Formats: sequence, structure tokens, C-alpha cells
Amino acid sequence: MERAVPHAVPLGQMEVFQALQRLHMTVFSQSVSPCGKFLAAGNNYGQIVIFSLSAALSSEAKEESKKPVVTFQAHDGPVYSMVSTDRQLVSAGDGEVKAWLWAEILKKGSKELWRRQPPYRTSLEVPEINALLLVPKENSLILAGGDCQLHTMDLETGAFTRALRGHTDYIHCLALRERSPEVLSGGEDGAVRLWDLRTAKEVQTIEVYKHEECSRPHNGRWIGCLATDSDWMVCGGGPALTLWHLRSSTPTTIFPMRAPQKHVTFYQDLILSAGQGPCVNQWQLSGELKAQVPSSSPGLLSLSLNQQPAAPECKVLTAAGNSCRVDVFTNLGYRAFSLSF
Amino acid sequence: MCEKCYSLLVPDSDRSQMILVTPVALPSPDEVIRKRLLIDGDGAGDDRRINLLVKSFIKWCSSGSQEEGYSQYQRMLSTLSQCEFSMGKTLLVYDMNLREMENYEKIYKEIECSIAGAHEKIAECKKQILQAKRIRKNRQEYDALAKVIQHHPDRHETLKELEALGKELEHLSHIKESVEDKLELRRKQFHVLLSTIHELQQTLENDEKLSEVEEAQETSLETDPKP
Repeated sequence: MERAVPHAVPLGQMEVFQALQRLHMTVFSQSVSPCGKFLAAGNNYGQIVIFSLSAALSSEAKEESKKPVVTFQAHDGPVYSMVSTDRQLVSAGDGEVKAWLWAEILKKGSKELWRRQPPYRTSLEVPEINALLLVPKENSLILAGGDCQLHTMDLETGAFTRALRGHTDYIHCLALRERSPEVLSGGEDGAVRLWDLRTAKEVQTIEVYKHEECSRPHNGRWIGCLATDSDWMVCGGGPALTLWHLRSSTPTTIFPMRAPQKHVTFYQDLILSAGQGPCVNQWQLSGELKAQVPSSSPGLLSLSLNQQPAAPECKVLTAAGNSCRVDVFTNLGYRAFSLSF
Repeated sequence: MCEKCYSLLVPDSDRSQMILVTPVALPSPDEVIRKRLLIDGDGAGDDRRINLLVKSFIKWCSSGSQEEGYSQYQRMLSTLSQCEFSMGKTLLVYDMNLREMENYEKIYKEIECSIAGAHEKIAECKKQILQAKRIRKNRQEYDALAKVIQHHPDRHETLKELEALGKELEHLSHIKESVEDKLELRRKQFHVLLSTIHELQQTLENDEKLSEVEEAQETSLETDPKP
């Protein structure tokens, strides 16, 4: 889909073009602003839009409040992942990572603060960056993607400090284990690897597809999503969604979900997951499905929980995926409304 | 009179019903007063009665006959008492309104307090819910691990099995040792036997050789003296 719009185009074609764009849009990533009142979403055309959550949730919300307040073209390719620090929005796509100041974006500026490219092995490679992770203790950013390595970048200096190698196929997702500063990464090769950040070595490897209880060979062995809660980890994708005890590397609970899950997160005493299929699933740690809340997209790729302490009234769950809509759940039980591109 | 729209509820011409009179545009206070005077010219009941009383007093003062005067006097007294009655009623209503206001104020304050209390209770309960959720999560984690542990057999049993196996192993190795010893002994004895046989054989052979040599010497001695 071309992203450049030709100037001399009659109105009818323009509308058709836009409608087609919206039909084929996929929202890959979301990120909440540090003040908690805005949500950024990145799609497959490389655009990043900002929605005002406080306006959309207020009692005087109209149809326009559910549209973006700012739209800008961030990358040439899809925006696969985004994170927010306390002042910046960092977005990553095909090979590059860029940062934008939240204060400037909100004033309708679209000038990037910096852009970097991690050191790839050959200059011909332009691998996509699938996952970004902030490590607040070291003030660094971890990037992982198509070149099967985890790159650490210091946010102050912008220099790439480490490259952790071990995966044999590209990496889908990252998670941070806070107590011992370890990073978990899961990828296409079916293994979840734990890396110690201080020694820059691989500490533990869990090959999920080798365990009979959770492996589903007909789906493949790829790990699509990871979340960790210090001693526990939940991962899913090709194999079934499983809860692991990290110390003993044993799978403890298998969640009976047939569709591969693309995003999973711990929330209070629940595990929220979403993937192929239009629902956001809520699981209890014992393996029971507590609730399945349908959303408006046929498949979901990312979930975002706005838990910023500065805006408790905007505490919502937002889900986005294979459509141009971002669903907002004010109460985990039902979909309140949808923001749309 | 309604403050916002200046509409007035007035008795109609024969005092049988109340009509709501609403001006279309919001007029100035002068217009309001003018309209009110127009509609309510004489004043409602009480005002009218006092006017009538004054008029009848003047008439009575200037009236002649005794009886008429007396009846007029009675009528005036009754009108006066009616006026006093309605004034008393109005005072009571006024008192009642004041007390109602106080009552409402009190209730309003109480409700505000209870709202604040309810807010606090809600906050408390939310904290308790979070705590309970944490506890539930811990319990579920415990259960999950316990399930996994249950799959593995009991440690005591495994230790006992290990001990039993160890004893068997010892016993068997004892047997093996004794068998090996026996084998060694037999081997040595056999070896001794064989070596003794060999020696005997050697000795026999030696004896045969000696006897052959002796025979050869004897025959050579016999042939030698002939030449």
C-alpha cells in the first residue's frame, strides 16, 4: 500500500483510497503517555497517532473525541513497537529506532528527537525491530528483532553497549524480570532465553516446544508473547499458553486456548491475553477462564494497561489489532467504546 | 413567581383556578411589576380585604343610623378578625418554612457526611480488594507449584527405595566377592595340580632319557671290544 498520496486526485478516488487504507490497517503497537492522558498507536503504514484518553473518557465526549488529535508519519515501514519513557516516546520499525518528545508531539510537532540504528552484522541487513524494552535501573533500552540479537542502547549517550547472541531465529518479544535484572526473550526458534544484564550472558533456556504438555506442533514452535512476574512467566504463541515457574523451569498451568496468543500480561491476580480471535481473555492462575470479552477487531495484537499514577481516571485497558480501531475497556468486563484512526 | 422565567401563578378572574402566566421574553423588573399590577390589580384576598375594611370604616364613620352602623360595625369586626386570622396563618406558615429550612439544612449536612463516609469506605474496600487479590494470586501460585510437586513421588518412599536398593547392591557384591574367592582358590589348586603333573611328566621323560642313554652306552661297550 503506497503511503504517498498523489496530489492531483479527484475527491472520489481520495475517499476510496482512504477507505481502503483503513480497511487494510493493522495496529501493531500502543504506548501510554507519561501523564497518562494520551495514547499513542502505531500502524502498518508507519503512522503514529495520538488519542486523547481524557477527552474520550470524559462525560462530554463526542464522536470527534474518539478520533486522533495528532497524526504523523513516523517510519517508512510499519511501527512494530513503541515504549514511553518519562519524557519521550520511542518507536521502532524496520531497522531503525526513533524517539519523539511527548511535549512536542502534543503541540503537533512531528520532528524526531533522535534516530539510531543498532549495529547489524552486515550493512545489507535491515531487520525489523519487533520488541522494545525499557530497563529503568540502567536507563537503557533493549531492542530485539530480526537479526536474532538483543541490542542494549544507553538512553543518555545513545551508544549501543551490548549485543546478546543466542537465539537462532528472530526474536518476537521481550520481558523484564525486575528483581534480578534479567531479560527474557522469546522468538521464532521456540526458546525462551533469560539473559543476565550484568554479565551479558544467557542464564537459562527454556525450550517450550520440547515439553509435551504444552507443545502444539501443528501451530509451530514460535513464542509470540511473554510476560513475567519475577518468579513466574507466562508465554504463548505456537505452543499453548502456559504458566512456568522460572526457578524450576517447569510448566505449571496450561491455559486451554486453542488460538495462538500474541500478547499476554499479568494484571493483579489475573492473566490477560489476546491473540487470534476477537476476544480479550482473562485467566486465573489456576487455569480457569474467568471472562472472555469480545472486541471489535477480528484479531488482537497488542494490549495496553494505563496504570500511570498521574491519571487514575484514565485507568483503562486498550486493545488493538487487525483493524483501524483501538478498543477501550473501562471495566474489564465489557468494551466501553472504540477509538478509531 | 418563578425566578428563572418570571412566570406567575395567579388566580383567574373568578378565583376558581390558578393560571400560569409566562411572559415570552425576559422583561425588565419594571415591566414585571407593571404586568403584575395589571393582573393582580386589587391584590389577592388579603390586600383586598384590608382595602374593603378601610373603605367600610370610612363609610361607617360617615353613616347615620344606629342599626346599620351596628351591623356595619359587626361586619367590620368580622373582617378584622378574618384579617388577623389570615395574618396569624401567614406567620405560622413563615415559622414553619424557617424550621423546614433548618431541617433541610441539617439533613443536607448529614447526607454530605454520609457521602464522605461512603467515599472513604469505598477507598478502604478497594484496598481490601487489592489485598485479597494478592492473596488469591499467591494461593493460586502455591497451588500450581503444589500440583507439579505432587506429580513427583514422595521423598520418604524414594529414600526407602534407595536404601533397599543399596542393601541389595551390597549383598550382591558380597556374593560376587565370595564367588570370586572360590574361583581363585580353585584356579590355584588346579594350577598346582597341573604343575605337579608337568613335573611328574618331566621326571618320567628324564628317566626315560636316562635309561635310553644307559642302553646306548651298554651297546657301544659291547661293540667296542670286537675289533
